[in-house]
Parts: sequence; C-alpha cells; structure tokens
Amino acid sequence: MRNPIGWAGLTAFSLAFFAFIYAPLFVIIGYSFNSNPVNMMIWESFTLDWYTGLLGLSDRTTDVSNRAAYVESTGLMLAALRTSLTVALFTTTISTVIGTATAIALARYRFRLRGVYNGFLMLPMMMPDIVLGIGLLIFFVSIGMNLSILTIIIGHCTFLTSYVFIIVQARMAGLDPALEEASADLGASEWVTLRKVLLPQLAPGILGGALLAFVISMDDLVITYFVSGTGDTTLPVFIFGMIRRGVKPEINAIATLIILASVVIAALGLWLRSRKTD
Amino acid sequence: MAPLLEIREARRSFVTPEGGRLAALDGVNLDVGANEFVTLLGPSGCGKTTLLRAISGFESLDSGTMRLDGADLTALPPFRRPVNTVFQSYALFGHMSVARNVGYALEVAGVARATREAQVAEVLEKVGLAGMGARRPGQLSGGQRQRVALARSIIAKPRLLLLDEPLSALDRNLRQQMQLELKSLQHALGIAFIFVTHDQEEALTMSDRIVVMRSGQIEQIGTPREIYRHPRNRFVAEFIGETNLFPVTIDRVEGAEALARTAEGVEMRLPGKDRRPGEQVTAILRPADFTLGGAGIPGRVTRAVYLGSDLYLFVQPLAGGPEIRVIARDGAGFDEGAAVHLAHDPARVHVLEAA
Ligand SMILES: Nc1ncnc2c1ncn2[C@@H]1O[C@H](COP(=O)(O)OP(=O)(O)OP(=O)(O)O)[C@@H](O)[C@H]1O
Ligand SMILES: [Mg+2]
Repeated sequence: MRNPIGWAGLTAFSLAFFAFIYAPLFVIIGYSFNSNPVNMMIWESFTLDWYTGLLGLSDRTTDVSNRAAYVESTGLMLAALRTSLTVALFTTTISTVIGTATAIALARYRFRLRGVYNGFLMLPMMMPDIVLGIGLLIFFVSIGMNLSILTIIIGHCTFLTSYVFIIVQARMAGLDPALEEASADLGASEWVTLRKVLLPQLAPGILGGALLAFVISMDDLVITYFVSGTGDTTLPVFIFGMIRRGVKPEINAIATLIILASVVIAALGLWLRSRKTD
Repeated sequence: MAPLLEIREARRSFVTPEGGRLAALDGVNLDVGANEFVTLLGPSGCGKTTLLRAISGFESLDSGTMRLDGADLTALPPFRRPVNTVFQSYALFGHMSVARNVGYALEVAGVARATREAQVAEVLEKVGLAGMGARRPGQLSGGQRQRVALARSIIAKPRLLLLDEPLSALDRNLRQQMQLELKSLQHALGIAFIFVTHDQEEALTMSDRIVVMRSGQIEQIGTPREIYRHPRNRFVAEFIGETNLFPVTIDRVEGAEALARTAEGVEMRLPGKDRRPGEQVTAILRPADFTLGGAGIPGRVTRAVYLGSDLYLFVQPLAGGPEIRVIARDGAGFDEGAAVHLAHDPARVHVLEAA
C-alpha cells in the first residue's frame, strides 16, 4: 500500500508546515542572542547582553548615549509585566469562578430564557476584539470611570468568563447526572455534593478554562489597548508601543522569555490533565 | 405487622414533548415488608424507574402518600431518606478510590475515620472485593464495579434498598451468579429490596413477590408461583414465561372436568369448578404442561429446537388455530413433520374468566 513518493511528499509537507509555524519563533530566539546592536539580521557574536540589559544589569544598550532613559524604560517594562501578571491573576480567578458557577447553573436548573442566556454568554467570544474594546471604553467613559488596572480587569473578565463557561460546560455535559443523585442518595446535601463530587469531577475542565483565561489575559492587546489608562500598561501594550519606536534587540529577549513562559504553562496544563485522567 | 413501606394511590404524570400528558404512575398501591425481596416487572416505559425514583425522592408525586415505618416520606429531600439506591449506571465516583466510594455515606455522615475504614473493609469483604479498596473504579471490571455500587449502598444500613436493573450490564453467566449473591446478601442483611428488571426469568428466580406493572398501573402482585400459575389476566399471563392461550367455549361440565373447544375445534379439558356450558373463557397452559402421547390434541410438529436435555416443539393443531408451544422432557423422535398428540392434565389448566 505504501507509496514511497507519496510518503516523501507527505513528510516534506509536514516539515514545511511546522517550519512555517515555528520559523518566526526560532528567528526571534536566535536574534535575542545576537550581539549586533545595529542590525539584528547580521550575525555578530553570541551574547546574553539583551537579557541582562532587560534587568538593567548590562552596560551595552542600544542607546548608549542615553543610559538614564534606558534604565527607566526597563523599569517601565518590568512594571508592565507586573501589571500583566496582576491583571491575569485577578481575571483568571474571577472569570473561573463566575464561568464555572454559570455552567453548573445552566446545566442543572431549568428556568425561563435559559436558551437566550446561553446565547448571550457565547456572544463576547464571537465579537471582534475591536468592537468589544471600543464598547468597553465608551461604557467606562460614560459612567465616569477612570481608566486604570481596574478597568483592564473588568474588560478582560467580560470575555474570559465566556471562555471558561464554554470549557466547563462541555465537561458538565459529559457528566452522568446519576453521580450527583448517588451522592444525595448516600446522604450528602447539595453543598457537600458540590464540594465532594461535582467540583472534583469538573476539575480538569475548570483547570483548563483557568489556564486558557490566564494565557489569553496575558496575551490580549486590542481590548487592553482601549481600556488601559496612561498609568497602568500591560506587557503586550508596552511592547506594541516599543515596536512603534523601532525594533530594538531587547524585544527579542522579551519575546523569547514569553515563549519560554508559554511553553512552561502549556506543559503544566498537559501534565495536570494527564494526571487527572486515569 | 405494619409494612415497612406503604404506598397509597401514587400518581405522577409527565408532560410529553408532543403536548399530551402521560401517566407514569397511575394510582399505585404497594406494601413492602421489612425483609422482603420485591421485584417490579413490566415492559419498557411502564413506570418502574419512576416508582423507584419517587421512593428515593428524585421524582415527586402529583398525589398519593408514601410512608416508611409509618413516617411520611414525601416531605423529605432525597438525602434525608433512609433509603439507598444501586443505580443502573452504577454512578461510581471516578475521582475517588474504591474504599472512599464505599465509605462515602459514612464520610458524609461524619463518622470517624477509623470506624469508617473498619466498616469499609467489612463491607468490601461481604461483596467479595477484599483488598481492592485502593483501586480506582476505572480499574475494575463491570462485575466488580457492580459490587462496589452495591457495597456503597448498603454500608449505611438502609432499611430499604432500591435496585434499578443492576444486572442488566452484565453478561449472562455473571448475571446468574450475581442473582444468587444478591439474594443471599439480602437474606444476610435482613433489609428489604425493591428490584427493577424487565427480565421475567430474573424476577421469578429472585423475588419473594413480583409486582407486574403496565402503563403506570399495577396489574398483579403475588409470589412468583402465583404470578406464574395464576395470572390474573392475559397481559400477566403473556408477560411472565412462555404461554399458550386458548379462547374456548365450554361444551359441557362432567363433575370435576369441563369440556371445551376453540373456535377452530381444538378440544380441551378444564377444571369443572364454577364452569357453565356456553360460557366463554381463556384457558392457559404452559409449554411444560403438555405430555406427548397417544391421546390428546392431534397435531403436527412444525419446528423442533433442542434446549439442552429438553426439546422445544412448535405444534400445529390439525383442527387449526395458532401453534402450540410445548416443552418435552424426553422428546426423542419428534422431529419436524412428526404427528403428535398433546395430552394435558385438566388440573394444570388456569382459566381466565374473560375470553
Ligand atoms: N422526566 C420525564 N419527562 C417526561 N416523561 C418521562 C420522564 N421520565 C419518564 N417519563 C415517561 O414516563 C414513562 C415511564 O418511564 P419509566 O422510566 O418509569 O419507565 P421504566 O418502566 O423504567 O422503563 P424501562 O424498563 O425502559 O427502564 C415513560 O413513558 C417515559 O417516557
Ligand atoms: Mg427504567
């Protein structure tokens, strides 16, 4: 059955496909170690200066003449990272709690307009980010709310709740309702059943939803761009601003670190999932 | 002695998607004694599960009363009812070990860990799963899961155990073994079982009493023997075991015997008690009630099937009418096409008043 030419073609295609996806990432990682400060596309020699420079520990910066300004921009970047992490932690927690509770309620209780409610929960995911961003901005301005880290958190929660909801709902749909009945039958109140049976059964879904929410929150540019004030900026918005002033080698170092963090989070997610399934 | 469970005029209807109302329970009256094995038997959709769920509290009644030990059950939520259930899907908690599954009722009730572990070990021993406590339900066979579900539901010593087709997922051999084990477990525990099945053989082997249901109503309650030998109507007769039904008209009554014949002219002898000439009744004879001999209903074998030592025959009466099913203990030589005579003892005939 095996056609050698077909197999070679398929292999080549697969390799090309993965190269297409991963080449940009590897290029960035390569550039982040290139010591050439003027043109990153011309290899000079290996250096870790851009990494140490991020922490303000290196003398070599792109803008040697203005070292004070450079250290300040590093400080700003670290502040942006801190903002991003804070936002992601809060939004992940809030949207996971609300999304999970909603998924349970919608699956277990019958009430009027249930279908409509369901549809409305999907909407923020379908909506283009730019529309959501503008909508949120107009909303905050019209109720007189100053743009700050709080508005970023609220903005993220509006659409991340939907993501968590959908993932937990899928898990909920696959759950045998008899499990909860068995628990009640054996004397457990609804609260005990929730704690001992329902939540542990949903755990992989909840965890998956939370990780996704965290990653999307860390990554979001468009919506955050609209709802962040001048004071609090997240890392993606900060990098976007940096690039507009020309691509500096430090960007590659930042990007490489973010790739590393993403891989670690994804691996963590996979590991937790494989541990859950017997 | 007052019964353990007392159900009076239980009614429950559902609104069907088609817009009508369907009476899943239509005036059910049932008493269950303290140490009784009662089986609910009936065709699919007759309301067996609904009745069980009403007792466990997962389904409410539209009207009617339910008392357990004299106390009203209907007002209690499921988790307060002293009744436990073995679910058809077993509903084991996949994220817990077998031991924790089994000890769940005690854990929830706040029983101390040491006591709990001792009782779990004891119950696991009882259902033949000693030493398997550390496993996850996912690492067990179907039969073992069934035992875990059973162990989990008896650990809190309920007065009444409800089992909804607990054996239906098992293969035939395992099933027969579990039937015997369930029955002896019920004896040893001294608690009442209400067991749902739509396998009539299972019902006949296991039950102290059988409740035959149809469309939300109880058709007959009785011991397996009563139900089998003295079905109250055609439905019960046809539902329980293989049956031959003969709508007959009484010709004449001679002492203890009545002579009757079907419209086609097949002649039968019935118990003569209470019979009047000209009366139309239905005569019921089980396949094993016939003997093959030189006298009796003349017929021809249309099909012969060997069932181990027995021979299962389909006999077409020469007079006409439906085929008669016969089990012959020693049926050698009666192959297809053979001429036979089917004799029967009039005392074995059960008579239904309606034709
Ligand atoms: N929640 C419900 N909504 C609407 N109709 C229902 C509901 N539950 C049961 N019914 C109907 O009530 C009738 C009795 O159902 P039930 O589950 O008690 O049958 P059963 O005797 O257990 O059947 P089976 O042997 O197939 O399990 C069926 O016709 C079923 O369609
Ligand atoms: Mg059922």
